[in-house]
Amino acid sequence: MSARIGVYVCECGPNIPDRIDIDRVLEEISPLKDVAVAKRYRLLCSNDGKKYLADEIRSEKLTHLVVAACSPRDHEKTFMKVCLEAGLNPFLFQMVNIREQCAWIFSEKSEATRMAVKYIRAGISRVTLHEPLLQKEIKATPDVLVVGGGIAGVETALSLAGQKRRVYLVERSDALGGTAARLGRLLPHQGTDMRLIQEKIEHAENNENISVFKGCEVEDIRGFLGNFEVSLKRSGGEPPPEMFRVGAVVVATGFALWDAFDPDVTGYGKIDDVVTSLEFEAMSASGKILKKNGSPPRSVALIHCVGRKEKGYCSKVCCLYSLKFAHQLKDSQPAPDVFEFYSDLCLPEKTDQDVFEEAKKRGVRFLRADDIRVEGRNGKIRIAYRDGSAEEAVEVEMAVLAPAMVPAPDSDRLARMLNIPLDETGFFKEAHSMLDPVSAPISGIYIAGCASGPKSIPESVVQAQAASGKILSVLMLGKTLEPEVKVSTIKEELCTGCQTCLNVCFYGAISFDAFRGVSVVNEAICRGCGSCVGSCPSGAISSKQFTYQQLFKEVMEALR
Amino acid sequence: MSDAYNPRIVGFLCNWCAYTGADLAGVSRARVSSSLHAIRVMCSGRIDPLYVIMAYLKGADGVMGMGCHPGDCHYLKGNYNARRRFVMLESIFKTLGLDGKRIGLWWVSASEGKRFAQVTNEFTELMKTKGPNPFREEMFI
Repeated sequence: MSARIGVYVCECGPNIPDRIDIDRVLEEISPLKDVAVAKRYRLLCSNDGKKYLADEIRSEKLTHLVVAACSPRDHEKTFMKVCLEAGLNPFLFQMVNIREQCAWIFSEKSEATRMAVKYIRAGISRVTLHEPLLQKEIKATPDVLVVGGGIAGVETALSLAGQKRRVYLVERSDALGGTAARLGRLLPHQGTDMRLIQEKIEHAENNENISVFKGCEVEDIRGFLGNFEVSLKRSGGEPPPEMFRVGAVVVATGFALWDAFDPDVTGYGKIDDVVTSLEFEAMSASGKILKKNGSPPRSVALIHCVGRKEKGYCSKVCCLYSLKFAHQLKDSQPAPDVFEFYSDLCLPEKTDQDVFEEAKKRGVRFLRADDIRVEGRNGKIRIAYRDGSAEEAVEVEMAVLAPAMVPAPDSDRLARMLNIPLDETGFFKEAHSMLDPVSAPISGIYIAGCASGPKSIPESVVQAQAASGKILSVLMLGKTLEPEVKVSTIKEELCTGCQTCLNVCFYGAISFDAFRGVSVVNEAICRGCGSCVGSCPSGAISSKQFTYQQLFKEVMEALR
Repeated sequence: MSDAYNPRIVGFLCNWCAYTGADLAGVSRARVSSSLHAIRVMCSGRIDPLYVIMAYLKGADGVMGMGCHPGDCHYLKGNYNARRRFVMLESIFKTLGLDGKRIGLWWVSASEGKRFAQVTNEFTELMKTKGPNPFREEMFI
């Protein structure tokens, strides 16, 4: 049977006929080979238009459809649906953009008309080479792996388990809760908050839908959205607990404190009673904020921004927790003198300002300082600093450093295993830092909490809940997933087994079949970018709907 | 096209950034040279060097590749593949004594309608000063 192509030019109201002579276009298109019909219609995306198009496909017995209208980004899917309803394979359709990239950008109507003809000719010449592709469906596992048992991981696990999902919560250390559980108190004033964190941890440990693996790390993950295979290893070197399958992965690996600071500048490790913020939290949690000699400090310096310059970013939470420390110190009897050495105060939340004002009222001294040096002098700690052009110094008995938050150790190993990127700071990179902040760029992998950068506890909790929401809406119980259709294919008889494509594919969709000596595409993982096609020295790879022949035809029409 | 010489330029635009940027040029009614015939590919990484050479040998006066800015690739890093390939193509062109300035790769984001218009118009002007691709005559006698 020979091809019967239907070409339909949409007027899009006045948008297209104002700028393109549609009758002239139809005159040029109608006589072309295999064109059975070439017609115009006022608005094809309207309900009437869609019905008209479906009727035309049936009554004209069309084998291929070309619609010249707006950008395919607007209505390609609309017309593919019409094809499907009219019994035509939706991939035997080509959309031609004569509105945005033709009618609207050329100054002369004659030019726009000439280019519209060229674009439609290109569409016609490629559409006969289209393959009737099929949308596949794959079964998905609704279970979820959460890597990291800090507050973000625990919250994710609880949110998902609440919806009856099986959650595998893997924590490297031997306790859940992460940094949040190691704090002395959560808010500037003593409350029951630490108890609430402990309750969350207990709920996670006792939830029948959550399998907690403490002292374990992910050994390997392979697969794709809906079907990841995970194996774990125990940090102690004992045999791996088990292998299991999940549909999604949440990276909630948290952060570490920067520790590469210069002891000559910070005094850390050289001078007694110079401690990091987490060491101070530990003292506070034990209820004893004491110097090494066992007596309470009579004066304390809280030093902000340790490592901000070196790391190149603000860690967001240090200002507030340093204020919390100040209040905590002022709560003790007798209250010590407290100095906050800051360069900029970052207090963005609605209650932060009050905490700051109150600290000032309680006598906390705020010193804006540059070039801070912590020196030991006669058993005391001398903080030398520059205030504008003046060199100043303060003597204290204890100094608390607020080091930058940095990526958790081994983040790069996990990133490589999951095939997801880290950003220039070494934290996990979001799919979009503003518009899609809890997704990794690969489907099925989500990021919550400090794994993607410094965050406060409420932000981490929000991200955990957001990631859970995304997972619940993507991996619905009993629902199958529709993988990309326009994937790459490899002709085995042409493949030389050089494996160049394996390195080009950022999704890990291509593997090497050593027995047959050829590369193989996993269609469930392939996203259809086509990067591998250009890398293949033997021309064995093609991408569906963007084959060599189809693009060749388009190029030839472009050069007409 | 006898009175004013209008170069024939083939453009391979990635679906997510450059093609969307070109759409935006239309939406914002930017004026763009009609020398460019845009061909949509899913990713600039899909621009097989073969197409660039083929388009040139078939008589294109210029070939443009356009993709997402570094770090913004919809497919993670496909645009880096494109960049390597265009660097390679330029050296191939040089080696063969062809004009490497007739091909090029540009980053155009989905929000850069103006930039799409600007780079296209600038490239068109450059091709106008260069005149027709010498291969055009040889291939189409």
